[in-house]
Amino acid sequence: MALREVIVSNAAAVRKRPMFPLCGRGIANNVNTVDASEIELFSRLSSQWWDEHGEFAMLHKMNPVRMEFIKQKLQEVQWEEGTCSASSSATPLEGLDILDVGCGGGLLSESLARLGARTTGIDASEANIGIASTHAVRDPQFARSAKSLKYLHTTAEALLAEGKQYDVVCSMEVIEHVNTPSEFLHICAQLVKPGGHLFLSTISRTPVAYALTILAVENVLGIVTPGTHTYSKYIKPSELLSFFQEYPTRFASKTGEHGRPWITRLYNGLPSRKEADVRGLIYVPWDGRWTLTGRSSTSIDFDLSTLCNYIFWVRKPNGSV
Amino acid sequence: MDANTFSNRVSSLTNDSCQFLKDIGAWNYVEQRRTCPIEEMQVWDGISGARINFSAADLPLQTTEMSRMTENLNLQRGLLKHLSRIPEVQLLDNVRVTAIEKEGEANGWPLVRLSNGQTFRTRLLVGADGPNSPVRTFAGITTHGWAYDTHAVVATLSHAPRTPFQPPNTTAYQRFLPTGPIAFLPLSPTESSMVWSTKTALVAALKSVDPSMLVTFINAVFRLPEVSIRYLHDLLLSSVASRKALTVDEVREEILWRERSHNISATSAYSSALSAGEVGIPPEDSEFLPPLITSIQPGTVASFPLRYSHADAYIGDGGRIVLVGDAAHTVHPLAGQGLNAGLADVQVLARTIETALLQGGDIGSRTALLPYTRARWFENHKILSAVDKLHKLYSTTFPPVVWARSVGLEVINELDTIKVALMITAGGGGGGPRADGSGWRWDVAAKGLENFNSTADTAKVVGSGLVNVVGIGLQRLGNALSQVGRR
Ligand SMILES: Cc1cc2nc3c(=O)[nH]c(=O)nc-3n(C[C@H](O)[C@H](O)[C@H](O)COP(=O)(O)OP(=O)(O)OC[C@H]3O[C@@H](n4cnc5c(N)ncnc54)[C@H](O)[C@@H]3O)c2cc1C
Repeated sequence: MALREVIVSNAAAVRKRPMFPLCGRGIANNVNTVDASEIELFSRLSSQWWDEHGEFAMLHKMNPVRMEFIKQKLQEVQWEEGTCSASSSATPLEGLDILDVGCGGGLLSESLARLGARTTGIDASEANIGIASTHAVRDPQFARSAKSLKYLHTTAEALLAEGKQYDVVCSMEVIEHVNTPSEFLHICAQLVKPGGHLFLSTISRTPVAYALTILAVENVLGIVTPGTHTYSKYIKPSELLSFFQEYPTRFASKTGEHGRPWITRLYNGLPSRKEADVRGLIYVPWDGRWTLTGRSSTSIDFDLSTLCNYIFWVRKPNGSV
Repeated sequence: MDANTFSNRVSSLTNDSCQFLKDIGAWNYVEQRRTCPIEEMQVWDGISGARINFSAADLPLQTTEMSRMTENLNLQRGLLKHLSRIPEVQLLDNVRVTAIEKEGEANGWPLVRLSNGQTFRTRLLVGADGPNSPVRTFAGITTHGWAYDTHAVVATLSHAPRTPFQPPNTTAYQRFLPTGPIAFLPLSPTESSMVWSTKTALVAALKSVDPSMLVTFINAVFRLPEVSIRYLHDLLLSSVASRKALTVDEVREEILWRERSHNISATSAYSSALSAGEVGIPPEDSEFLPPLITSIQPGTVASFPLRYSHADAYIGDGGRIVLVGDAAHTVHPLAGQGLNAGLADVQVLARTIETALLQGGDIGSRTALLPYTRARWFENHKILSAVDKLHKLYSTTFPPVVWARSVGLEVINELDTIKVALMITAGGGGGGPRADGSGWRWDVAAKGLENFNSTADTAKVVGSGLVNVVGIGLQRLGNALSQVGRR
């Protein structure tokens, strides 16, 4: 497999460069994880959020696949624990409290709310919240019951400070834009109720990801405004997995949080199906849509399916706080 | 409606369409006694006489039916009954859409104004409003296509029942003439529908004559050699032009004379001058031809303009609007595909909407609707262009093409895949939006016909062994056709 060898050796070369450490960094209190220069960039873009032809076309197309994954994971857990809703028409999201961190124009939030979740979308950009709210108000489905969907111009830190917790916390295509991912993950993790779920989707730090997202999409094709992505901020699936293997113990000294790690161990580099899951999101140009790959069986960083975009799910142990 | 009276608007429904209607529970409400199975098809070249015989037995199907004829009205009544039993569906009868506006500026929803004063703000507006679709116009969706210089004359025909010596009236007949095909489509043992596509000037003349004259013409047009049909056409046109009425007897006399000079025996099924209405032991070749028409049901003669047209998009630019059926595409009726393609559109659209709902999507968004376009646009394009090419192939009298065509048709008879593909044209199942990919047969048809039109490598279509035999025929035909194109 010449292709794989090339990718592996390139990846190894890339890894030699000093990358930001995902784990093991001390957390300074009250650090604002939002990068000011990036808020400005997205505010400029936010008016285009709902243009399905525009810069966010790929995101619009990715949304159904993310929803599929979210539903699937929640359903698996509900089946396993016998907590499925009695009504066959109910979705696994029915009645759950869900937080969408970095909701942008509200693409994911609207879908979550449509499937019956009490959804809160938050974004650090006021313009995004404006766009998202305006869009939802025009839709009679949301206008009728404000309870099902609300948007707040606030940060995850602020909600945490208020002591809020949710059944499900989602943060899609956000972590690659924050300054200190480990802090961001720590905040998201604390916003999850015990036994609840955390969903993240992002771009892996691989040469393929670089070629596809920065080189091709930003510079060559000009689909996305240059500067949207910063390669050094991309996070590999394995880095997320090892973060949650050491979480929350690593943070014990700071937060006083103890308890079972979210991921107890890896089997051949993969977590147990009940604790976490990583799936690649692949764009199939001739179909014009994204697909979710099956569970990977090889080393996760180099599995073709997770070379670029991937989606991650992890569950907070029941005994945690 | 009286059991022996049939509307002139009928359609053949493919097995896939019938299955879809059964799956959604609407078929139960369609009056079965007013439908008729088609078990066999006889299709022949009007000039060379080369003939293909299709029967359901040749199809990879579990049924003996190739398709089922029904009046459009019967199907509509059934669908309406079915809808009236679904509480979520609100039907507004006798109401017209008077205007469609766009709310606000960018990403506004459509506002549909009705003749009863109501206005609907629509998350999704489905344009199922036929070939002149106001919804399509509002959405600014362009179409490409052209009007054929032919119209379709339709009528409900009465005839004697088939005798016990003959197969029942479940065979459809279609003769390809340079002026267009004429089709005979069974509705009951004694009633059948006609779709006769022919030149516009002739259509006007045919509609103006006495029904008994039309009966005489129809019987002759299925039977006489093409030169004589041309003569009869000219006779009719000049009588209309000179306002000198032609009598049925004069025409009969002319037909009789022509049958004799073509050596058609008066006892042959190909003779229509004398034997009209006679019963008895049928001539041996009667299976090759529809029964002789005795009369036309009053008020059923009508004509429709024929167009090839395909919308450049099925979804409005900002979403919120989607087109199905004739609003999205119109096709020559020679293959009986229009309604079937529309039903397949609806089936896929329903599935697309269901998927979007399950994913929490906004069913009016472009993203949610895109899988519908992806599944249907190209599929319809293949059907449309295959049917269009068939039409063009058979509307020429250019001798090399006719020669090659006869070779082509006979060759086709040997080739199971192409034969099946052409059978689908006639409504024998498949081609629908099945998950099992049964749409492949259209690919074969489209490809096969594509090769008629080009000198491209026929081996690709045919495979291996037959290439030499077939390749020459098809290739010459291709050359000849491209010459015709240049003229
Ligand atoms: C001679 C002939 C033979 C054919 N034979 C076959 C066949 O054998 N098999 C087959 O599959 N197909 C056949 N077809 C094609 C078939 O008839 C059409 O494809 C089919 O009827 C299209 O259905 P539709 O619902 O898309 O459009 P239509 O049947 O045109 O229906 C459109 C509807 O929209 C309504 N509408 C339009 N504007 C407005 C408005 N402003 N407000 C409210 N309502 C409006 C109209 O009243 C109409 O009811 C044949 C066609 C012809 C001409």
